[in-house]
Amino acid sequence: MATVQVSEAEKVYILHGIRDDLRVDGRGCEDYRHMEIETDVVSNTDGSAKVTLGHTAVLVGIKADIGKPRPLVPNEGYLEFFVDCSANATPEFEGRGGEELGTELSNTLYKVFNNKHSVDLKSLCICPGEHCWVLYVDVLLLQCDGNLYDAISIAIKAALFNTKIPRVRISTDEEGGKEIELSDDPYDCMRLNVENVPCIVTLCKVGHRHVVDATLQEKACSVASLIISVTHKGTVTCTRKVGGGSLDSESIFEMTELHHSCFTLSESIHLLSRPGSGWSSTST
Amino acid sequence: MPTDTKRVRGPEVSQSPSLFLCRPPVVLPSQGPRADGRQRDQVDVRPVFVRCGLVSQAKGSAYIEAGNTKLMCCVYGPRETERKDETDMKCGRLTTDMRFAPFSCPERGSWIQGSQDKDFSLMLHESLQPAVCLHKYPRSQIEVNVMVLENSGSVLAHAITCASLALADAGIEMYDLVLGCSIRQDGASCVVDPSYMEENYCSSASSENQGGLTVAFLPSLNQISGLQSDGEMTEEILTAGVRTCIEGCYKLYPVIQQALAKAVRKAAPPPSES
Repeated sequence: MATVQVSEAEKVYILHGIRDDLRVDGRGCEDYRHMEIETDVVSNTDGSAKVTLGHTAVLVGIKADIGKPRPLVPNEGYLEFFVDCSANATPEFEGRGGEELGTELSNTLYKVFNNKHSVDLKSLCICPGEHCWVLYVDVLLLQCDGNLYDAISIAIKAALFNTKIPRVRISTDEEGGKEIELSDDPYDCMRLNVENVPCIVTLCKVGHRHVVDATLQEKACSVASLIISVTHKGTVTCTRKVGGGSLDSESIFEMTELHHSCFTLSESIHLLSRPGSGWSSTST
Repeated sequence: MPTDTKRVRGPEVSQSPSLFLCRPPVVLPSQGPRADGRQRDQVDVRPVFVRCGLVSQAKGSAYIEAGNTKLMCCVYGPRETERKDETDMKCGRLTTDMRFAPFSCPERGSWIQGSQDKDFSLMLHESLQPAVCLHKYPRSQIEVNVMVLENSGSVLAHAITCASLALADAGIEMYDLVLGCSIRQDGASCVVDPSYMEENYCSSASSENQGGLTVAFLPSLNQISGLQSDGEMTEEILTAGVRTCIEGCYKLYPVIQQALAKAVRKAAPPPSES
């Protein structure tokens, strides 16, 4: 992860502030930074979104391709995630520097979506065993100022909401071969139901308290963080502890309770993403 | 795209014959005793066979067998950092590598590290790092290599245990042993130390609360150094699962301590007759 060097005196300052529920930029421990979400930003994709969370900026583009379904699940489509840490974000990511971070982020995303209910994969099937929709979700990190997981998950949810998958018709010709036809009308498309797509909440342990949406300075003062991915119903789809420190078991139980309050974030995203809400550009 | 030019592999599009089976997929019952006779909803871990010091070339090594899961770990170090620009003046570096032998899983894997292997290596690194006193080894590197010989469920948990045993066998200073335990939540019941079948084939009875959880725990310090879960679970089930895993780790602790004491006694010089 891109890091900043923080002096010992600054660490003590940040620690004492968080102990009194006052962070460097004036937020409380459970407050998020100013967030802006924009959808439909890249016209070449089937769905796209850009999220700016404080100084962190993430751009997600989704392209739908027709491919062969996986052999064990012939009547489902699938999603492929790829995270690219662009050298624009920090010079550390130049060349292959950002590859490790990118792999870590995409592996976590695979785990987050590895359940039956997040995305209805059966609706991505065209012809069982032969054709299905494959959604390639490509994430691009434009600016990095901490809290990448949250920004990426929100951007993916927004982009999936924005995705328009063209309707296909399967027709059989004389020899019995199947042909796929796309409809001529560019607006005749299928939308995905993103109600159950989870959002990730990262809780950093700084001193004895936990903070949400840590900046890079606060991250440098923390020993460990817990990533929890939660849907608006309260189901936890993935948890993971990151960082080189250890957590008390009581801290973990506290954190899972704390994420309930950060639920409001997931709820507000969910409300915005309900169909018919005309969501193109929103600020929170 | 990295290609493997050293080995002659089979055709690109080969498939496992298990795909062509006519039998319907196995649906495991979600009630009653498990396939190998253990109980559900109880901290019933498989009996474990552990031995230290099997690789003479390595500084420290360990082998663990739990049911049919077999894995071995070797530790090399502390030695000079290979890449000079990454030398840390104040503390040492811990590098971990976890690999699956291609014959370890029912479907043949490949020798090239896939993203899942890298993910496991990262989890192993995060779980071991809090326990090792890296500040005592400045400018050095400690390498931990885990090789999974047979994957019969809860591989990551046993890899964590095996790696910390190998580190102790190598004489690396640690704050505490790290023990791993994993569970699989299946509807309303949870299954501790799942086998491969229990991990990958969920019963279709209920679609709520299906998931797996792995916890790495330091018993003497009562700290959790690694936590990973996937699938979907409610928050109460998750916290109950973490408590169950911690209990599983406490059950494993005396066995590991005994194995370590035996290895040290064997390696120590015999008491001089005087």
